Amino acid sequence: MEEKKKEMPQRQVTVKKLKATAEASAYQKQWFQGLKARVEAGEDFGYLNADVPMEVLKAMDIPFVVNQWWAAICGAKQMTRKYYGLLRDAGYRDDLCSYCATAFAESLDPDDHAYDAEGKPLGPWGGLPDPTIAITRLTCDCQGKIFELFAKNHGADFYAMENTQARTFPLDWWAHAADDWENLYDKDRLDTAVEELKELIRFLEMKTGKMFDINKLQKVMDNINRQEVWYGKIRDLIADTKPAPVTVVDTINAVMPAQWQRGSEWAADHAERLYYEIKELADKGEAAVPNEKYRLMWLGRGLWHDFPFYQNFEKKYGAVFVWSMYLAMGADAYVRNNVEEDPLRALAARYIGMEDFLHMPPWNAQWFLQQARRNDIDGVVYMIPENCMQTVEGSFFIKKTLEDAGIPVLAFNADPVDARKWNRDTMTGMVEDFIENRVMKKEK
Amino acid sequence: MAIRECALKNQHFARLYDVYLHRDDAALAYKKAGGKVLAKLGSDVPDELVLAAGMMPVQVYADPDKELVYTNKILEFAFDPVVRKQFEKMIDGTYREVADFLAVSNSTDEFIRVFLYLREMIRSMPEMPVPPTTFIDMLFTRNRMHQERNEFIFGLFRKQLEEWSGKPVTDEAIKVAAAICNADRAALRRIGELRHGDEVRVSGTEALVIIGSGFFMDKKEHTDLVEKLAEEAAEWPVITGKRVFVTGSAHEDLLVYDMIEKAGGVVVAEDHDWGDRSYDRDYNTEYPPIRAIVDRYMLRGYSGKKAFVSQRVEALNEEVAAAKADAVLFYTNIYEDSASWDYPSQKKSLDEQGIKNALFAKMLYPATANEDLQARIAEFIEG
Repeated sequence: MEEKKKEMPQRQVTVKKLKATAEASAYQKQWFQGLKARVEAGEDFGYLNADVPMEVLKAMDIPFVVNQWWAAICGAKQMTRKYYGLLRDAGYRDDLCSYCATAFAESLDPDDHAYDAEGKPLGPWGGLPDPTIAITRLTCDCQGKIFELFAKNHGADFYAMENTQARTFPLDWWAHAADDWENLYDKDRLDTAVEELKELIRFLEMKTGKMFDINKLQKVMDNINRQEVWYGKIRDLIADTKPAPVTVVDTINAVMPAQWQRGSEWAADHAERLYYEIKELADKGEAAVPNEKYRLMWLGRGLWHDFPFYQNFEKKYGAVFVWSMYLAMGADAYVRNNVEEDPLRALAARYIGMEDFLHMPPWNAQWFLQQARRNDIDGVVYMIPENCMQTVEGSFFIKKTLEDAGIPVLAFNADPVDARKWNRDTMTGMVEDFIENRVMKKEK
Repeated sequence: MAIRECALKNQHFARLYDVYLHRDDAALAYKKAGGKVLAKLGSDVPDELVLAAGMMPVQVYADPDKELVYTNKILEFAFDPVVRKQFEKMIDGTYREVADFLAVSNSTDEFIRVFLYLREMIRSMPEMPVPPTTFIDMLFTRNRMHQERNEFIFGLFRKQLEEWSGKPVTDEAIKVAAAICNADRAALRRIGELRHGDEVRVSGTEALVIIGSGFFMDKKEHTDLVEKLAEEAAEWPVITGKRVFVTGSAHEDLLVYDMIEKAGGVVVAEDHDWGDRSYDRDYNTEYPPIRAIVDRYMLRGYSGKKAFVSQRVEALNEEVAAAKADAVLFYTNIYEDSASWDYPSQKKSLDEQGIKNALFAKMLYPATANEDLQARIAEFIEG
């Protein structure tokens, strides 16, 4: 692996804020304002959990927001303390399912669409417009309950999609996902997922009066393939370039807003621009952290309420977070070639795998190991939420798989959006201790 | 005393109580005599199919005294304490000794993870004594497509049983087994009538013994004992006291019911899997065998884990009314969280009906680990 790396001269410090990141940030704000205008004009508006096949709504031109993206916005806007207080006041527990319950908690906020005396909106980005449709998959026991409550508060129709478990599980799923997806899953599972899609489509057609057109879905799927292939190139470029031209702080913020827009021309074009921007940095030898000594992998959801945390270890140790699932997942798990043969089946083969690949051992552990090796990772920092069964994903097996391969792992409990239990100094100390005693001492 | 003298002196109850206290004895004896035992994790592993395969079904249960030697390394702390104790027994060799096979149903998302972990241990840690394990991936949302899918899923389980037992599981054998299960449910319903009626003759604690013993013994013997007991218990003294409905976590032991009944209440009904919910719908003998299995397990009372909030509110209202309960006690173990999302809506509905209720959430396991629990329960019952 080492000999493959491009040895780069350590020169100037790179700009952390990529143009593509700023562009994505501006686009999503503009897009959200446009979405609000459409909802205010009376259009149906969907609120979806991240594992719902949003491609269907994209193909039907039904505006939607993704729950996890919105929770991240609320977290970044420091709204969660207020929201969990509202949950408590309404008789709910405030220590459960924080990622999925944030938007429900927000729906309890009477000030979500209000403004302060200076005319500034009190809700994040002026608050979430009232959805008319709320869709989730039943990937844990709480998800359906929370979405039903959320839908009721907004006066939306609630729709649930089932989740099935894999009986067969090729350990190298990433090698099959793009081209051999038909054989990646149990056939009956894929058949069921297609039927689920047909039922969802029928529901949406009846609800919105819009017809689903398979040709439009094919276009959406083609755009997604184009977008995710660029992410694959970016991921490989970072893996092959040392020191890395960008860190997870750059890539997550550039990729996530676009990932929730997947299927659009903009998202595919943005991925291409992102690649060329990073390639230019790599070609010029501009490193994100010129003194890069140790390459770290971040496992788990993004630390939305404290993004600068990722950069705490760069100056002192040259320890750089170069890998997160947000870029790599798109690259390995989302591409589905030969879409034209059956776009709906190809979509089914994408959405049922999301839960398998990320949260189910051994699929997740084997992929993390393959990625750790591919990216020459020196240490893995693994955040495990305490209050979320959906992310109970076999942390023992993940840790064991990586450590058996000689890659040290620091696993700790924290929450991606709830900052109340987060102590930055303590966590920094823990990671520093890990770097000093596990990563630095590791035989390279 | 929650288990009264009249019960303890009754020979049928005494036999059931002995099975309840010594849960592995019958399975070990069955194995010793050459029979095959299948341990069930979850409430949706159909006894009808297991019996038709010539095996003895037994329920996986937690041992509160079990030290979590392996579990603390393998399971995250998001798993509730009862599941943690159950898991230890599944990987430390206990269920290799008590049973031949293990079937896990996805009755809760925790069990899905447990199955995946067991499967991964079988694959990558073959030195661990995990029994051969299968999974029943049924779907709970009620629509035609999922009903059809469930027929396929239970068909897979049938094939697995055939492979394990080495013989076909015939339609005829399923019908015979279903008749045995229906008879047992009918007998338990007679006990239910002695709890839910105007005159309460069987306490909640006694009912847990009567119901729970059936998870660990020969079904026909259980039915016979329960039928005889129902005859005799009809003459037991009437129990007076506040009529309490228990919802939330399943109660594998008698501790909480004992506290309620010592405080002067009587548990007249519950909606968990170690109580009334275990016998609430029959196998319909007019349907083809697998379709009847789907009908029984998919369409019975809404589970606290798998149903939506509105369904749970409606179900609780109906069950509380049917049991003529004066009060509802919500009791959930720590990390067993899904019912917490139902609770505020259920409470609101009960409050509107003037039905007293109290929440005991994030409870430690076993119940005796909770400081002042007896006093808190007494305060609720007496208040």
